[in-house]
Amino acid sequence: MKVLVNGKEVELKNDSRNLLEALREAGIEIPNLCYLSETSIYGACRMCLVEIDDKEIVTSCTVKPREGMKIKTNTPQIHELRRGILELILATHNRDCTICERNGSCKLQKYAEEFGIRNVRFSQIKKNTKEDKSSPIIRDNSKCILCGDCVRVCEEVQGVGVIDFAYRGFSTQVAPSFETELSKTECVYCGQCVAHCPTAALTFRNDLDRLYQALSSSKHVIGIIAPAVRAAIQEELSMDSDTAMAERLVAFLKMSGFAKVFDVAFAADLVAYEEAHEFYQRLVNNERMPQLTSCCPAWVKYVEQFYPEYVENLSTVKSPQQTLGTIIKKIYSQKVGINPQDIVVVSFMPCTAKKFEAEREEHLGTVDLVLTTKELSQMIKASGINLKQITPEPFDRPFGISSQGGLNFGKTGGVFATVVEVMRDEIGISDEKYSDLQPGVKSATVRLKDGRTVNGLVVFGLANARDVMKKVIEKVIDAEIIEVMACNYGCIGGGGQPYPNDSRVRQNRAKILKETAGIKAIQSPVENYYLQKLYQEDFKDEHKRHMIHTTYKARKRVESNDIEILPLPKEDKTTVKVCLGTSCYMKGSYKILSQLVESAKKEDLGDDIEIVGTFCFENCGKSPNVMVNDKLICEATFEKVREVLKECQANKIKSQS
Amino acid sequence: MERNFQKVEEILQKHGYKKENLIRILLDVQRQYRHLPEDIVNYIGVALQIPPAKIFGVGTFYAQFSLKPKGEYTILLCDGTACHMEGSTALLKAIEEELNIKPGEVTKDLMFSVDQVGCLGACALAPAMVINEEVYGNLTPEKVKQIIRRLKEEGEKDAQ
Repeated sequence: MKVLVNGKEVELKNDSRNLLEALREAGIEIPNLCYLSETSIYGACRMCLVEIDDKEIVTSCTVKPREGMKIKTNTPQIHELRRGILELILATHNRDCTICERNGSCKLQKYAEEFGIRNVRFSQIKKNTKEDKSSPIIRDNSKCILCGDCVRVCEEVQGVGVIDFAYRGFSTQVAPSFETELSKTECVYCGQCVAHCPTAALTFRNDLDRLYQALSSSKHVIGIIAPAVRAAIQEELSMDSDTAMAERLVAFLKMSGFAKVFDVAFAADLVAYEEAHEFYQRLVNNERMPQLTSCCPAWVKYVEQFYPEYVENLSTVKSPQQTLGTIIKKIYSQKVGINPQDIVVVSFMPCTAKKFEAEREEHLGTVDLVLTTKELSQMIKASGINLKQITPEPFDRPFGISSQGGLNFGKTGGVFATVVEVMRDEIGISDEKYSDLQPGVKSATVRLKDGRTVNGLVVFGLANARDVMKKVIEKVIDAEIIEVMACNYGCIGGGGQPYPNDSRVRQNRAKILKETAGIKAIQSPVENYYLQKLYQEDFKDEHKRHMIHTTYKARKRVESNDIEILPLPKEDKTTVKVCLGTSCYMKGSYKILSQLVESAKKEDLGDDIEIVGTFCFENCGKSPNVMVNDKLICEATFEKVREVLKECQANKIKSQS
Repeated sequence: MERNFQKVEEILQKHGYKKENLIRILLDVQRQYRHLPEDIVNYIGVALQIPPAKIFGVGTFYAQFSLKPKGEYTILLCDGTACHMEGSTALLKAIEEELNIKPGEVTKDLMFSVDQVGCLGACALAPAMVINEEVYGNLTPEKVKQIIRRLKEEGEKDAQ
């Protein structure tokens, strides 16, 4: 359609979502603080005002373009209105810009500069807020402008909804339920709120100080670099994309005191190789189907919390980060004769959830420090070293080479495609078909030469994953293997990547990663010489391979105290705890509870029973769960509980006599 | 004391376990427990499949809900324009003297709580207050003290 923009005829696309997007396509970026292409339209910030047909001023995010529309995007009046909005926001904003994590990448700061705000006419008001530093995601509401981007991303794109608007009027703030610390909530630390926050209300924990500490010690510091880092870091360094970016980073890290630098893509090859064998085994035995990928720590936590009955379906192979950390500490250290305790493994990741992964109890001491692409770029900038001028250096052996597949782990579809590559080499493939089901969900049908068929799903975005899981549970959709990456477009869109971090930027990163992978000489992990050597020498004993496998557990979503239902102020009593968490509740734990309360009141079960409601024994796979004193009753029924209670009574009487 | 935990289940049942009835459910919970307890909010989240943060958002948005327990007698003292002009400040002083609590607080025995509100819509009766859905109008400090004393006696009788 043709419209008139600032007096000039402009051709707009007919199917644009709104005027803001249509103008963006036509090369005019309308200022905005709360608009995201990826979520529902909110229209709160009022920065995207435009004048239409010489009369009304409206928000361009909420208006559809129309044939012949006369649009003015930058009149003195609009300019003044936008300045007013910025001043009002700044009046309640914590303006510690020079010591802010988002200094230089803050959208509010950028607009304040562009609109020439040098004086705020309104007096500064401090909001009474607390910082939450309990997890890798840091919340600081003194910098929040209430655009709601995080709230919408968390609920609509990621299907978590751990934060929402709370309170009202001037007291409004974004908070988890009851303002609980994030570390005690269902947050999966994917960092998509961080990726989309225009200010520093949501950031990630910056751990660079710990790196400098390690480098100044006598320890052997080993760097490992994830695939997605090399496709994005140029954005921070005013460089063009470069297929040798990773090798430039290797050279930089060596100059900064790292003893060795290995490629996480090598570990990705290893993970795909191991996972393909694990998958084929499960396929043949028809057990724990569908297999769910486990490379993405945010997805793993999501399954542990929301699909506890599918925890066993997760591939037990560790993620590439943890796999590489493990083989460095357990195999490499022996080969070079260094005590693992004298090695510090520092991983460079696009991801905030990887910080959490490394801190999971079962992984402690494997990867010592996780830094994001943003932190790495800070380190480079502070050093004054120009990456363009340093000569690229290859990754160190033996964990330095990877296949195209290993590198493609950095974007959606990479894990599945690489697993398929391994099966192509080891079993053979007769036919394969791919199709798009919805944005963020692809399906694949792969026929193996042994006659078996593999239906695969490739998913990004946890809300998409929730839709897919619903269909899997309802058996509407067939799948033997499901790859899920929590972030849109995969790891390249991680919460630790440079800003802006929207779909447009991510698509470009995917292209760069594809090009970088495309020039690798080997396609499949099977062709990776050092991987094969590892299997022939170090993994010859099958039990040795266990070191790159792990376990998962059902995980409670909220920390909460027990609820006293029928308390008994008595020492020698029998305590019955009934789980009222989601899985148990769905399977009828409330019915058991009410039957117990009824019987207890009638003293059918004796007179010393205390009944307590609780949230989650983290054993959701066998729900409903009831605990009598210290004994956990899985798949409980009222009858089962009654039996156990009778036993207890009998034992008690015996011990008394 | 037996915690009436089954009450929340009855409330949910009454409203058909429907997400769209959240506000009604919360109103009943507020009435039953005199506030929105955290465990009950989590329980509703589980039962309705709504993130607890969303329920917390609703619960903190509307003045009808409170996160701290309210007294058995909830005094809402109007401080809208009409009541303010007719001397609501003196009424507040009377309540504070009688109960030793300030707006937003609850007495130690959980019998009384007092809150100031914008307008009760009873301007013709200014100055006015509402205690547990009953409206008291044309008040004076002395009348307020009498009402509270009477309720105290009733409360004590109930307790026996």
